[in-house]
Amino acid sequence: MEYKEVVGRRRSIRFFDPDRPVEREKIQKMLEAARLASCAVNAQWQRAIVSFRDDLTEDQLSRLKTPVAALNVELAPVHIHWFNDLSIVNKIQGSRLKELVDVGALAPTHGWSHKFVDDFVYPQILKPMTQNPGYPVPSTMDVGIAMCQALLTGVDEGLGVGLVTLNGAVLKEVFKVPEEWIPLSTILVGYPAESWEAGGQRPRPPFEELYFEGAYGKPFPRDPKVVEELKAAKMIQEPAKPNDPKRIAEIKALAEKYGLPM
Amino acid sequence: MTIDAAEEQPVALRPMLDYASVRTWLDGLRQHWGGDPATDDPERLPVLEAFCRYANRDPDQIIKETTMIKDGDKRIRIKGRNKYAALIDGWQAGVEGSRIRKAKWGNTVRSFLIHNGVLLQSGVQT
Repeated sequence: MEYKEVVGRRRSIRFFDPDRPVEREKIQKMLEAARLASCAVNAQWQRAIVSFRDDLTEDQLSRLKTPVAALNVELAPVHIHWFNDLSIVNKIQGSRLKELVDVGALAPTHGWSHKFVDDFVYPQILKPMTQNPGYPVPSTMDVGIAMCQALLTGVDEGLGVGLVTLNGAVLKEVFKVPEEWIPLSTILVGYPAESWEAGGQRPRPPFEELYFEGAYGKPFPRDPKVVEELKAAKMIQEPAKPNDPKRIAEIKALAEKYGLPM
Repeated sequence: MTIDAAEEQPVALRPMLDYASVRTWLDGLRQHWGGDPATDDPERLPVLEAFCRYANRDPDQIIKETTMIKDGDKRIRIKGRNKYAALIDGWQAGVEGSRIRKAKWGNTVRSFLIHNGVLLQSGVQT
């Protein structure tokens, strides 16, 4: 699938086929994509635990369910739990930055050297950063970028994916994660039981409300020609419509199939 | 789960449509799914009434026990929701008939709570 179509087809899937297993290689591809994501100072805060639902005990599965995500967790055959390993920066002490210097990703042309990393970047920037109460915010953003690449790769592999936030304390206990890992979100993975369109692309605020040029208040102009081009590339697709009879019929059928309340 | 206050007198129920929470439920069903929820499923209101007798509460009392107003905002009472989730599960298990019928009855009551703003998930019932 072309990249733009992958972006266009992604939906948060909430009806997974509970009985259709996901191939391990597809999960690996999602993780491989995450591993290649952009990451500040090449620290690699991301950590993930893949959990195959049917390998969990009944008690574990029950504890993972939250009021909002219980059904999704039950339906999805695979759960990928993501964490931010806050300890990594002080463990590697700039060594991965020096790897970037060695491979020419960071070069003297831009002021980089091993000495700069050892004398300034780690002791004066990175180490103090880890002591700042706001430290988890930017590092979590980088894990989010990795998760996004995993999500899109899942879509490219024909899977349904959806993000949920589970109880962090439960995740840490069930999966025995190190204390310094912060639990983030979980990607639920499975084959969609609903159509891949799932009613259409979700409502979004107008482009001009989100993006600006030069300064806040001056919207970045949206060129209709570009919009048409992206429609042709299937990145911008049919939007979901309120009270769409086709979608209502689909949800009713799913509710009947799985015995869900309406 | 046992019902609190087992010594209570049996609840005196008025016609289901007299209760504001039941009207809210039917309005929600109508808005979301269309049709006429008061008549399109003849079992809907009797099922809720049967559950009310089992729980010994009227519909408005059930919503009152599962929600509250805190700092001016409506909130879900976690304990109340858990209590009713368990009550529905227990009641559903005792419904006579097939698994589909049991699920339908349980889900009818869950739907009543859901359309009154009390998020409740039951899991797959088939």
